[in-house]
Amino acid sequence: MLTVPGSTYRNCDGLSRRNFLQVGAPLLGLGLSSLLEHEATADDETRDRGKSLIVFWTHGGMSQQDTYDMKPDSPAEYRGPYRPIKTNVPGTIVGERFARQARVMDKIAQVRSVHHENGIHAPSAHWMQTGYFGPTLARIAAQYPSFGSVINKALGARSPHMPAYIAVPKAEAFGYQKSVYLGASFDPFEVGADPNSKNFKVPNLALPGGLELANVRKRRDLLTRFDSLRRDIDRTGVMDGLDAFKAKALEMVTGEEVRKAFEIDSEPDALRARYGRHQYGQSALLARRLVESGARVVTVNTGYWDHHNDVHPNLEQHLPPLDAAMATLLEDLDERGMLDNTLVYCAGEFGRTPLINGHAGRDHWSNCFTVMLAGGGIVGGRNVGASERHGGGVLERPSSPLDVLATIYDVMGISLGTHYEDASGRPVSIVGSGRPIHELT
Amino acid sequence: MIRRLEVFGLWSAYSFAYPDGMRMWVKHRVRVVVPGRLMACVVLMALVVGPAAAGAADAVGRVAFATDVVPILTKLGCNSGGCHGKSTGQNGFKLSLLGFVPSYDHESMVKEARGRRVFAGDPDSSLLLQKAIGRVPHGGGRRLGTDSPDYQVLADWIRQGAAPPRSDDPILVKLTMTPSRGVLAVNTTEQLKLEALFSNGVRRDVTRQALYLSNEPEIGAVDAAGHVTIGEQGGLFAVLARFGGQMAVFQGTVPFGESTEPEKLPEDASPVDRLLADGWARLGVQPSVEVDDSTLIRRLCLDICGTLPTVEEVRAFQADQRPGRRERLINRLLDRPEYAAFFAMKWADILRNRGKGYSTSKQRPGTALFAGWIRDSLATNKPYDQFVAEILTATGSQRENPPTVWYRQVRTSVDYVESVAQAFLGVRIQCAQCHHHPFERWSQADYYGLAAVFSRVGRRGGFADAEVPTNERIFVRSQGEVHHPRTGRVVAPRPLGGPDLSLSPFDDPRQRFARWLSRPDNPFFARTMVNRMWGHFLGRGLVHPIDDARSSNPPSNPELLNWLTSDFVASGYDLRQLIIRIAGSRAYRLSSQPNKSNRLDTQSYARFYPRRLKAEVLLDAYSQVLDVPTVFPGDRGGKFPAGTRAIELPDENVSVHFLDVFGRPDRRSACECERTDDPALAQALELVSSKEIQRKLSEKTGYALRLGANKKSHSENIAELFVRVFSRRPLEKEAAAALEYLESESDRKAAYQSLLWALLATNEFLFIH
Repeated sequence: MLTVPGSTYRNCDGLSRRNFLQVGAPLLGLGLSSLLEHEATADDETRDRGKSLIVFWTHGGMSQQDTYDMKPDSPAEYRGPYRPIKTNVPGTIVGERFARQARVMDKIAQVRSVHHENGIHAPSAHWMQTGYFGPTLARIAAQYPSFGSVINKALGARSPHMPAYIAVPKAEAFGYQKSVYLGASFDPFEVGADPNSKNFKVPNLALPGGLELANVRKRRDLLTRFDSLRRDIDRTGVMDGLDAFKAKALEMVTGEEVRKAFEIDSEPDALRARYGRHQYGQSALLARRLVESGARVVTVNTGYWDHHNDVHPNLEQHLPPLDAAMATLLEDLDERGMLDNTLVYCAGEFGRTPLINGHAGRDHWSNCFTVMLAGGGIVGGRNVGASERHGGGVLERPSSPLDVLATIYDVMGISLGTHYEDASGRPVSIVGSGRPIHELT
Repeated sequence: MIRRLEVFGLWSAYSFAYPDGMRMWVKHRVRVVVPGRLMACVVLMALVVGPAAAGAADAVGRVAFATDVVPILTKLGCNSGGCHGKSTGQNGFKLSLLGFVPSYDHESMVKEARGRRVFAGDPDSSLLLQKAIGRVPHGGGRRLGTDSPDYQVLADWIRQGAAPPRSDDPILVKLTMTPSRGVLAVNTTEQLKLEALFSNGVRRDVTRQALYLSNEPEIGAVDAAGHVTIGEQGGLFAVLARFGGQMAVFQGTVPFGESTEPEKLPEDASPVDRLLADGWARLGVQPSVEVDDSTLIRRLCLDICGTLPTVEEVRAFQADQRPGRRERLINRLLDRPEYAAFFAMKWADILRNRGKGYSTSKQRPGTALFAGWIRDSLATNKPYDQFVAEILTATGSQRENPPTVWYRQVRTSVDYVESVAQAFLGVRIQCAQCHHHPFERWSQADYYGLAAVFSRVGRRGGFADAEVPTNERIFVRSQGEVHHPRTGRVVAPRPLGGPDLSLSPFDDPRQRFARWLSRPDNPFFARTMVNRMWGHFLGRGLVHPIDDARSSNPPSNPELLNWLTSDFVASGYDLRQLIIRIAGSRAYRLSSQPNKSNRLDTQSYARFYPRRLKAEVLLDAYSQVLDVPTVFPGDRGGKFPAGTRAIELPDENVSVHFLDVFGRPDRRSACECERTDDPALAQALELVSSKEIQRKLSEKTGYALRLGANKKSHSENIAELFVRVFSRRPLEKEAAAALEYLESESDRKAAYQSLLWALLATNEFLFIH
């Protein structure tokens, strides 16, 4: 239990169950409440609970005022044109473009008090993706690994043939969804194509022109043969890592399992239509298929929400498809019995200004915005934290990006005491000062 | 003799202090029989605290905060980076990391939290102790028993009024580990002994008060009492002991087999070979056999020129049987432009010649200029000290004086210190920006002293459409200072380890610093370069990682590192000679195939440690074997000239997926570790289904289709293509397998494509072995 840099990092916040038993006996002075408190924090070892995570990343920043955190009593220049509607959770309202989610609001939790201190896309994206303030245009600073990469490193894939961490269609533009010092093997696998396109194929699994699958199978057999003829060049295991990936890549390209996971065409038309025949809907459906096949984290990077001008006409392009995708995903996961094991998270780098600007748009706003969580054991229908009257600042229960990530790691079963060493050998906590938002679990 | 007597309720405690510093506490139950007279009834406990819990306590048994209390907090992990030592503290209680700032710790413990943490009237109910023994819920759990000596020391300190550090407190002067080096057999144990010398002349055994850390616990593990347990496996390890802000190191050698006499080497064996042989003898390992010519020439070409040997080069080397053939080959390779290009790429990584940014349109001329200057410096074999001095002291326009371009990415105090320390001094000093380095002697004063060397660097002009402005002019300002973040005092320019540079306002501190670098007795500069080059050729630095020199991370063969360093200095920092020494050594010629004795060795170079080809080298190797150059996208939709090789690119801002997935660095830090050779799924997918490789296999004039169209027999082609790919002839079973496959295929072209693809994806091709 001694926390010493350079040795195994153990959580200093809690005792492991085993330690608790060892220590528990002499501590007869402990009251029941403190016993329970110990037990609650006793889980300091990562335990794979078999859960997966689907992320909707609203790149550019979604307006919280027009969606989850409506301000119907504010003046028109704040509240915008959308009307609030009731949901199936008494007392919770959402914007009218989230009519489908309103019917599954009992599965959805909101954190309405997330905030950080940067208002520019790239640094804010880094902050929300990693939990830490990192580089800006004026500040050359170290990058941190994304939460997807952290989960990949801590838990790996649920099936040996599937990539653990997948980005649909690609990792976001700033490059902050990657693994940095965790090692390239924990970067996201980029699908590289729009699952709503007509002949959706994954370029990385598709073969370049002129190369047939039969040829790749021959190449695979030849490679296996020649590699095994020269096993003697390394008997120490240095090459094992790459060997494993070669086998996995060849299996992905030539085998059935991964190929099938990506075959979105095999879904019934009715379901595809329910998700919506747009990039949001089909990405969500693909994410469900990938998780079903054993992916651990699927991040959907769809849409660009940076609406400085004419925010409402622009939202008309994005809110209805996101709503259909999200609501159908939650229903579909629920119908398949996957909801308790699949955490769904929707967030971007920040929210948008409560006051509508002179171009009928909303600008960047990191002082207070909303993120959404559902499934995976999250208590649905619960709203945590609140914004001020017009949405400008946090009114109650401020939550940091690290608090949100700590919640996600905790739900996934990752020990919050986990530290990984950066390039200089310094142990960096995955949650830093973050604490799980316990109201959600 | 009885030093003091205290009465608490029905308890009394005597403390006996012995002249050697040992102290004994005796607790008594007391009963007042006659007013004014005490009578001891039952001796409940006699507790020997020490021989050292008293630390440097003075003659009246006063517990000194810095030398008695703080080491306990360190030992128990209270002030570690995972708990109260982290920058945000833990649950409102923050200590200085590992207790390097006792005055701060005293404030936290005594004055904060409304004084609840210590309570002199009843020490046992102090929150500090209640938490530590787990009586009050404590996130860190139970760290201490009430009957432990450490508990007593803490309680005494509180009872005595929780006094702060005093100016007349004895100061810890020196920490001595005994033994400091040792050869230990597998499955044995060793007790380390740690002695502290204080400024008042007192020496104490602090073995049980120190914190221990092994760098290789698999080889030698250490427990809290300084007891070392050797595992099943041989190797080298070091144990760091920390006490009162100082550290001492034990270096252990665990032979794999019987330690043996060094083997008899020929008369003319080089000092490098002799010192390596000594190291192997100490470790009881036998070196692997030497490799054949084809493996050696492949290694040399890849490591010196970043280029595969051609079929002709392999055959010429095999045909040359005159004495001195290996030296001739190395010299020939060093004369080739690829040598300068390949090492210029390595240096451009370290010097952060970065092309990428928020907007990059104006950066290429600068990166190209700097890249060219580095290449020319290497091609002309510019002495290494001069090369570095020209960079560090550069002034003038970034359009005209290429080394000023270094100042484009390296812009702030943090950048100066970390880049210089890591690139040229081999030291990771980052930690000391915010707190005392946990494993080294570096303090914030060292960090900011080095920053002060660059405090007068000025910049004029420049066009800022990017993260970093381009085309600035670098000049030396007449003023500029750096302040210590904690004390606020101005820090004088000081090279690592001191002393301060004495400077007039007319001196450029950088010039003085550069002169300090190239002093023959500089402990870091030449050593770092030697170690870097050893790591380049042998796959692991004598100090590993190569830029992390510290007393707690000793070199695996100190004598060898010393010899190479003094040889490098004596040669006038001649890089080519250094390469000849290393690449010409016997260790470089050893096979990567282990023998029985060295299978588990990863530190002594008794066998060659395989490593994957660097991204650029691998892509160029594909181009060379398949005879189809890569087309690199250039500025404004243009292309680099046909035949440009990846190792020749001016900066990393050339979009090539292959290079990114195989670990090309982003040039964001001076650490070579940024270039990763971690395996990744994306690499394997790139090999399997990359358009670029398929294009290289399908080009009409390329090697694959030429084979497919020629009239030679399969056997002839197989004989040649193995030399082309692996620099060696095929084994019989390989030739048979290839022939069998080619004959089984009706499409000759596709068959050669597939065969070449498979050979180019084997580990033998992807690795230097």
